[in-house]
Amino acid sequence: MKPMAKFYTALIMLFLFAPIAILLVFSFNEAKSLSVFSGGSLYWYRELFRDAETLGAVRNTLILAFSASILSTIMGTAAAVGIHRLRSKAMRAAMDTVTNIPMINPDIITGISLMLMFVFVGRLFGAATSLNFWTMLIAHITFCLPYVILQVLPKLQQMDRSLPEAAMDLGCTPVRAFLKVEIPEIMPGIITGLIMAFTLSLDDFVISYFTAGNGFQTLPIRIYNMTKKTVTPKMYALSTIIFFTILALLIMTNLIDTGPGVERPAKDKPERPAARKKARRIALGIGTVLAVGMIAVMVIAAPKKPVLNVYNWGEYISDGSEDSFDTIKGFEEWYLENYGHEVEVNYTTFASNEDMYAKLSSGAVSYDVIVPSDYMIQRMKDEGMLLELNFDNIPNYQYIGESFRGMYYDPDELYTVPYTYNFVGIIWDAEQVDEEDIGDWDLMWNEKYAGDILQFNNSRDAFATAQYKLGLDVNSDNPQEWQAALGELKRQQPLVKSYVMDEVYNMMESGEAAICAYYAGDYFTMLDAAADSVDLQFYTPERTNYFVDAMCIPSCCQNKELAEIFINYMLEKEPAVANAEYICYGCPNSLVYEDEDYAEEMGEEAMEILYPDIERFGELYEAYAYRNLSTEMLDTINTLWEELKIN
Amino acid sequence: MKQKNNGLASVQRAALGPYGVWALLFIVVPLIFVAYYAFTDNSFRFTTENMTRFFTARSANGTYTYLLIFWRSLKLAVISTIICLLMGYPVAYILSRASARTQKILITLIMIPMWMNFLIRTYAWMTILQDTGILNSLLRTLGLGPLHMIGTEGAVVVGMVYDYFPYMILPIYSVMAKMDLKLEEAARDLGCNSWGVLRRVIFPLSLPGVISGITMVLIPSISTFYISQKLGNGKFYLIGDAIEGQYVANNLHFAAAIAFILMVILLAGMALMQRYANRKAYV
Repeated sequence: MKPMAKFYTALIMLFLFAPIAILLVFSFNEAKSLSVFSGGSLYWYRELFRDAETLGAVRNTLILAFSASILSTIMGTAAAVGIHRLRSKAMRAAMDTVTNIPMINPDIITGISLMLMFVFVGRLFGAATSLNFWTMLIAHITFCLPYVILQVLPKLQQMDRSLPEAAMDLGCTPVRAFLKVEIPEIMPGIITGLIMAFTLSLDDFVISYFTAGNGFQTLPIRIYNMTKKTVTPKMYALSTIIFFTILALLIMTNLIDTGPGVERPAKDKPERPAARKKARRIALGIGTVLAVGMIAVMVIAAPKKPVLNVYNWGEYISDGSEDSFDTIKGFEEWYLENYGHEVEVNYTTFASNEDMYAKLSSGAVSYDVIVPSDYMIQRMKDEGMLLELNFDNIPNYQYIGESFRGMYYDPDELYTVPYTYNFVGIIWDAEQVDEEDIGDWDLMWNEKYAGDILQFNNSRDAFATAQYKLGLDVNSDNPQEWQAALGELKRQQPLVKSYVMDEVYNMMESGEAAICAYYAGDYFTMLDAAADSVDLQFYTPERTNYFVDAMCIPSCCQNKELAEIFINYMLEKEPAVANAEYICYGCPNSLVYEDEDYAEEMGEEAMEILYPDIERFGELYEAYAYRNLSTEMLDTINTLWEELKIN
Repeated sequence: MKQKNNGLASVQRAALGPYGVWALLFIVVPLIFVAYYAFTDNSFRFTTENMTRFFTARSANGTYTYLLIFWRSLKLAVISTIICLLMGYPVAYILSRASARTQKILITLIMIPMWMNFLIRTYAWMTILQDTGILNSLLRTLGLGPLHMIGTEGAVVVGMVYDYFPYMILPIYSVMAKMDLKLEEAARDLGCNSWGVLRRVIFPLSLPGVISGITMVLIPSISTFYISQKLGNGKFYLIGDAIEGQYVANNLHFAAAIAFILMVILLAGMALMQRYANRKAYV
């Protein structure tokens, strides 16, 4: 290589590996931050191996990638062989077009189109769940197929047609000629196709996002659903491990002859026996992988012990990380002890109320326990999507504080058991913001801090900040009032650095931004990881959003009693305290907020902010909580939001 | 003898069967569903309202909402694709002319980032591009002052270029690797300078690779909805964001309508490009 070429290649490599280097470094971070490095440690690696949910997601991702790539390679190779033999030009053109569609169509369209079909067909047949592992597998096979075909087909075309004929002249049966002559000839294409299919399936997020269903969550979806809470360095640790595994694998297999369509059309391949031996070895390897993959599929498809499907917000349960209590495992053990047989909890997460509602209302999934927020509970209740609870199975309900009972969304206490409550406050960095400027919502509109202010990247919360500021009703059904709020948000827009959800953590922790509105409990998560150069403070505006997230049982529930037992368990002291400490939001369970150890663990500041005046909570909540809005109103808000975002 | 061979051919043609059925069920039929949803309302009655909404919805200041969103997505995607092509073409050339060993190593290196999760890669770019990020600390020590990068169109383009870069290199490379080196020599012998060789020999021959590279970068970047959220500071609402937003807002029919329009435009665009390329290749 010439020096210029060398230099250029080095620059490109720098570009390609800069982010990888970042995640390598931050995976060794001591603090829970992806932007402030505070010292090396292996902490997150230990955490990773304790995180059963993430490891489960990794397992699911691998199972899916193995099955999808193997099946699509088999079917794709067969298809390529068939296409190669097609005589009709029209047929050939038709096949080419169809094969090209998934490649030319954006992922988002492939995902949506499959989702629409699965949901529609599922509804037609009255299936309880129309999206599950199998639909995801179908989706993955579908988008991998063209890549396999396009790798194998050229190899067939390059092959000398007289080869199989010669074999048959020498007494081979057609099948034998195919297996012994053609297959080894096209093997490099098959292997490249397999590797490509595996890579694509492993990395796919968009198509999985739309076709994911019950309890089968892959890694990309799990990461995406962390959007309300923070993405932890644990994920970087995982990526680092993946990186080195792949590196090791590639070096080991020498990877070489599997490189995509590399070799020049050399007419004279001298070492035929060696090539054949290699082909045999590779075939053997593929066979092994295939067997392992099939067994894995059978394992997950095999009938199992009773399963409880729980659908909760991302990062919204104490999961054994950072030396916390593992609630899910705790429940499984507790159940075995008390009921004498095993149970399995299938725990999956969602990114927003709307995301959860979209999945449930399509009838595509079936869950036993869900944790929506108040206004969404009202909507689901009105639409008959919730079941009444049998409180005989939930005796621990007695510990729920008086102020959290009979809320507007469930006045007769029939459907819900509150899980957490919290409110929106303003977090500001005392190093960047003058103390005299703080006070109510005006700080978020203060021109002095132009470019340092963060606003919510979800319509309801963002509009609410403007509505509270203007003294408007956040539940108004008057479009003009929403227009006024939009005007206020537009006025704020030039000052806004970024519209954020989970990015808020990095930006506040590193001093990248100075002011944000976010959920009170999350302030403490930021405090823990903040850089030394940052001095984060918190205050609660007079009018602000108070919310409750509550456990409910949706009408698609398959095992109601088990769901109620689970809800009851969540109110037991040990898991409840662990969850409250993990989530950092306020807890409506008196076993928790009256507990001295809990108060000590949280610290004085946290207790003051989270439980300022529990008696008054009902009043504030009644005044400022979100209510469900009509579909037309939601559509209007969505349109107004788009108007803000396109400016 | 002939007989036997025909037997083989028809057995092999039959192997197409499963794929044919699969492609019909899971490629063709779902697209019909997109069209069906796009032209119906919530109670599955025929309507063209979703279509007209896309083309006529206007915001308070008179701009056409979705047309603007579409235009913006197209612009960023085209810019990213051009940058990918300009950056990737030399890489593909260098690769194809390197020794076999170097080729293998470099290809591996280019592929490795694709194995890291796409969401995580994008997240890492946030750390690099932030105002207080790695790149700015570096610039500050060099005295080049902090540059505001995150939340700009540039940052979104960087994210797109990064994520889809390998898709540009690989197809161009695989075409170039098969090119006959003698053609280049012949052109030189006949008096072509380096630029001439590139323009008249290498580029025309690599055109199929370039076309599939462009397709493989343009398509995912036009429809992305994660990169714009993370690196654009939520300020660049793209067509992918609009589809996802409508899906989350439970407006399945309008989401399908946007998807349908996007699909039609892209398929038409690709068909045109393919035709242009075919003409180029044979003239």
